[in-house]
Amino acid sequence: MRSLKQLLIASVLAVSMQVQAAEPFTVAIAANLKYVFDDLAAEFKQETGIEAQSVLNASGKIATQVRQGAPFDVFMSADMEFPEGLYKEGFAVTAPKPYAYGLLVLWSQTGADLSKGVAGLTDAAIGKVAIANPKLAPFGKQALKAMEFYKVKVALEPKLVYGESITQVSQYVDSKAVDVGFSAKSIVVAPETTGKGKWVAVPEESYEPIAQGVVILKHGIDNNADAARKFYGFVQSEKARAIFAKNGYKLP
Amino acid sequence: MLSIEDIQTIWLTIKLASLVTLLLLIIGTPVAWWLVRSRVWWKGLVASVVALPLVLPPSVLGFYLLLAMGPQGPLGKLTQATGLGSLPFTFWGLVLASVLYSLPFMVQPLHTAFEAIGERPLEVAATLRASPLDTFFSVVVPMSWPGFLTAAMLTFAHTVGEFGVVLMIGGNVPGQTRVASVQIYDHVEALEYSQAHTLAAVMLLFSFLVLLALHVWRTQPNRGY
Repeated sequence: MRSLKQLLIASVLAVSMQVQAAEPFTVAIAANLKYVFDDLAAEFKQETGIEAQSVLNASGKIATQVRQGAPFDVFMSADMEFPEGLYKEGFAVTAPKPYAYGLLVLWSQTGADLSKGVAGLTDAAIGKVAIANPKLAPFGKQALKAMEFYKVKVALEPKLVYGESITQVSQYVDSKAVDVGFSAKSIVVAPETTGKGKWVAVPEESYEPIAQGVVILKHGIDNNADAARKFYGFVQSEKARAIFAKNGYKLP
Repeated sequence: MLSIEDIQTIWLTIKLASLVTLLLLIIGTPVAWWLVRSRVWWKGLVASVVALPLVLPPSVLGFYLLLAMGPQGPLGKLTQATGLGSLPFTFWGLVLASVLYSLPFMVQPLHTAFEAIGERPLEVAATLRASPLDTFFSVVVPMSWPGFLTAAMLTFAHTVGEFGVVLMIGGNVPGQTRVASVQIYDHVEALEYSQAHTLAAVMLLFSFLVLLALHVWRTQPNRGY
């Protein structure tokens, strides 16, 4: 009985201590930043001594979660629209600023011939082609744009399968269930995927490189103002730009 | 309002769930019967394999099915050699995946129902010179009728609600693999909440009515005796 009482007191104490602990500084990041964020966070910690925690999700999901009160301080999106929407509704306190541009590549692990680029995808030797869902993902939208540019969109339609995100396109390419996937350069140059199959860049005149915006969220200003402001400045600094460039992004 | 596309996804979902339920009645019945009657030592192994989809996260199951069915996988090589083509991202690929995924939902209730019959009725039938097949259809099936209904209901419902596996091996192809659960997900992701609500409400109502009808039918006295 006595030990039960002690346990009860101890657990009440533990819970109350957790409530009092300062909230960790949290950055919500789009799925394509998976590989670059560790480098950014390490550099940021060296400069400021602040530990930046990351929460990885599709940009649209993050935006929805922020609207429902998720405790994120800064949001690094895969596009400009989602942070723009949050800013207009008062969930973000700064207008979205592009920190990097995502680039489109063709990626294959089945030995498909990529030398003719997007136009060559109509070749009978190439089977299924995966793109991110254009309705949900900016990379999918731009993949369609590139197909339109080369006038192969209609011909390719029967070959297309849709991943819910650029991450799922990677899974389709990885499992060799598709011959070719429209992926992001940041994914194919990452250490985890180096040497897996072949990739070629999609020429930049055929689509618009995807501007990725960063905003400070209202939760950040209310709870972690100093860390949020420092981090916001940091992702636009020369050091951060070098990290983005090295990881397959185009710079603003 | 439901768009043409939404209605297409509902129709596809019903088609998939009905087909999977029918196939599993054919496959699951002998499996369940064998599990109840057999005396071999490796019965436990089979029972465990059958129950695996209950434990495995759908994303894991989906990913390995994708690997197996892909052009380089063992199943994929088999289907291509036999001229069936490649299964991922097609309706039949979904059917195969759903059959595996919903297998325990068919087998478990049947297993319970067959076990409840016991030895006696089978012995009586045998002394009256009924063949095993005759015994099964004139004694076992009528006696375990509620079990069949429960199994079919659970399988159908489980297949309608399936999402993780479909997302992994479906590829969201309109008219082929874009079922209602994926369509609702897409609506939510695109912040089209009103369409998501409408479609979800239709699914909810449909599922509820199916379950209610079956329940009423099941609880009628003297069904099948």
